[in-house]
Amino acid sequence: MTASQTLKRLVAPLVDPAVYDFWAQKVHPTLSWDRCLARVVERHVEARDTVSLILKPNGLFAGFAPGQHLNVTVEVNGVRLTRSYSPSDAVNKDGRIRLTIKAIAQGKVSQHLVHNCQIGDVVELGRAYGDMTLPKEPHAWLFVTAGSGITPIMSLLNTLTQRPLQQPISLIYWARTRADLCFSEALHEMSESDPLLKIHTVLTRETNRVDKELDGHPRESLFRNLVPDLERRRIYTCGPHGFVQSVESLLADKAAAFQSESFSPAAVVTTAGAPVSVFLSKSNISVQIASGVPLLEALEAEGLKPAYGCRMGICNTCSCQKQDGTTTDTRNGNTFSEPGAVRLCINSANSDLTLEL
Amino acid sequence: MTSSMTSVLKNSAKTHRPNDTQLAAFGAELDALRERTLTDLGERDARYIRRIYAAVRYTEVIGRGLLFFGLFPPAWIVGTLLLGISKILDNMELGHNVIHGQYDWMNDPHLSGKTFEWDIVGTADHWRKTHNYSHHTYTNIKGMDEDIGYGVLRLFPEQRWRPFFIGQPIYALIFALLFQWGVAIQDLRFGQYFKGKKTGKEMLEEMKPFLKKSRRQLIKDYVIFPLIAGPFFVPVLLGNLVANGIRNLWTYTIIFCGHFTADVELFPKSVLRDESRGQWYYRQIRGSSNLTGSKLLHIMSGNLSHQIEHHLFPDIPAHRYEEMSQEVRAICQRYGVHYNRGPLVKQFSQVIWRILRYSLPSKYVPIKASA
Repeated sequence: MTASQTLKRLVAPLVDPAVYDFWAQKVHPTLSWDRCLARVVERHVEARDTVSLILKPNGLFAGFAPGQHLNVTVEVNGVRLTRSYSPSDAVNKDGRIRLTIKAIAQGKVSQHLVHNCQIGDVVELGRAYGDMTLPKEPHAWLFVTAGSGITPIMSLLNTLTQRPLQQPISLIYWARTRADLCFSEALHEMSESDPLLKIHTVLTRETNRVDKELDGHPRESLFRNLVPDLERRRIYTCGPHGFVQSVESLLADKAAAFQSESFSPAAVVTTAGAPVSVFLSKSNISVQIASGVPLLEALEAEGLKPAYGCRMGICNTCSCQKQDGTTTDTRNGNTFSEPGAVRLCINSANSDLTLEL
Repeated sequence: MTSSMTSVLKNSAKTHRPNDTQLAAFGAELDALRERTLTDLGERDARYIRRIYAAVRYTEVIGRGLLFFGLFPPAWIVGTLLLGISKILDNMELGHNVIHGQYDWMNDPHLSGKTFEWDIVGTADHWRKTHNYSHHTYTNIKGMDEDIGYGVLRLFPEQRWRPFFIGQPIYALIFALLFQWGVAIQDLRFGQYFKGKKTGKEMLEEMKPFLKKSRRQLIKDYVIFPLIAGPFFVPVLLGNLVANGIRNLWTYTIIFCGHFTADVELFPKSVLRDESRGQWYYRQIRGSSNLTGSKLLHIMSGNLSHQIEHHLFPDIPAHRYEEMSQEVRAICQRYGVHYNRGPLVKQFSQVIWRILRYSLPSKYVPIKASA
């Protein structure tokens, strides 16, 4: 423990983190007692609707391994929203992080980060997570990605190509059109400077294809043609859920190792009464309850005793953090998919949930 | 028309209760207003509460700073006033409202209703129970809302007179000066201990969070800050004492004006049976009264000057009550529901009148089940 950490622990009982942050941020916008804040210091357009933001985190950032993701929290119209993004660069000595974000239609956070975020804005970062990281020993790799699934792969490639490659690496990168491709120049330079790195782009909706650009959806013949030694490759694949599933069914049992990650929101149960599973993270138990029934009632029916008061949405006693899942306000029918406080007595489950109870 | 007839008519207009069908429509209109406001919450509200937070911090630092020069009387006076203002803002517009969960939608851990703690001897957890739950759910229901006289005052003819109440003008004054302590121990039910219903051990166990919090507050205001001032120990200590006192008197005044003015009604427990949304709204309106005045009054009262709107919509950011009150008044007018409002002097005079009048014996009025 460093001297400053010891000091911090000693004075902690006297410090209100909110008050500390308020005054510290008058000095510097990312100073905080216990939150990892980062300032946007550069912004680059990478492709259509896609930007890279260079972030400078405060001293509370615990670092990341290439291939991992970070929870990024921003405030949009007064509401703090959290989404997961991947650093797209290797770990930098100066501690700066590059996040590459693609604006998704209706995506509150991505739209904000891509179109409204300004240099000097402050975001909050969570701990890095994800296990698509690099093992110590070199391997023959095949990276298969689609859309913004390129970002963690880019971090891996940037790390791997810091030294001359000892084993072949192939990247097969799907995008709709050429304008949607990120890092085209950087990828081109990488493959020019190392003959063991092969990069293939597949464009599904490009009207005038050039050079070696391919088309169509994932299929075995395409992988076999591009990577004849498929059997000895370790495969990482990252992209939308459907894409990753089809790649998995084609390649999972044909390569030396296969690992995948996909992004898509959890399925929402639409028929009221259908069972959903609720994980209570503090008590570490899971229960099955019916969707469409106020959570307080449903949990009590399972023999649980969450704190409650008025049972009509006034007193906030039964309020608890929903960490994951979609709920419906039983009074007005509005659905709510963001993590945040929910009052158990006036909200019902719409999907599997994780509650901080 | 004779004057007594006018007064009877006036009274019946004040206590007019729409029938249940009308109350259902009445409730639906208030629900619609609630929904409109909820959908509109956003950056404006976030900016507002952060500005209040900043005001609390700045007034506190400047106030405490000036008190270090407290041997110089103007510095002591301004310092004490600013610290008092800081505590008032912290307790009312910030603390009271955040603890209601009014800003939970922002998802900011520093402004979360479940975890916020405030600059007052009572714990926020205790307040969440006595205020957010008991008082707001059972507003003005005799025997359930313990805010009716706080167990020491007789403010309504529906409370039975006992000789003890003769001294209540004095109790009321002491209670006002020590208001934060009164509120802090409200849920500890010392009465049960004195009646032998609770053992000393149980009592002590229940008191632990309160003792911890109040010790922290006492050490902060009466040991640490005076010690930092070194030779100016005494003026700082006195300044802190007076600032706490100012806050106590002000919060007492505002809170008493919210529920103990002349026309507010008490309700029997029976109203709770199958109480509809509209009936619940009606009870909240008839059990509360508003203060008219400037924007400053509204901010300094934590917008509890809009007590009616607060009781209708306790989870909506309080700075919205001003604009909502225009619509609430119009809705009340349409349904003939009396909307009790008046300037601070008038409303507080009525509170004082209740304190004085009901210290003396009066005919016990059994509570009527109007609902």
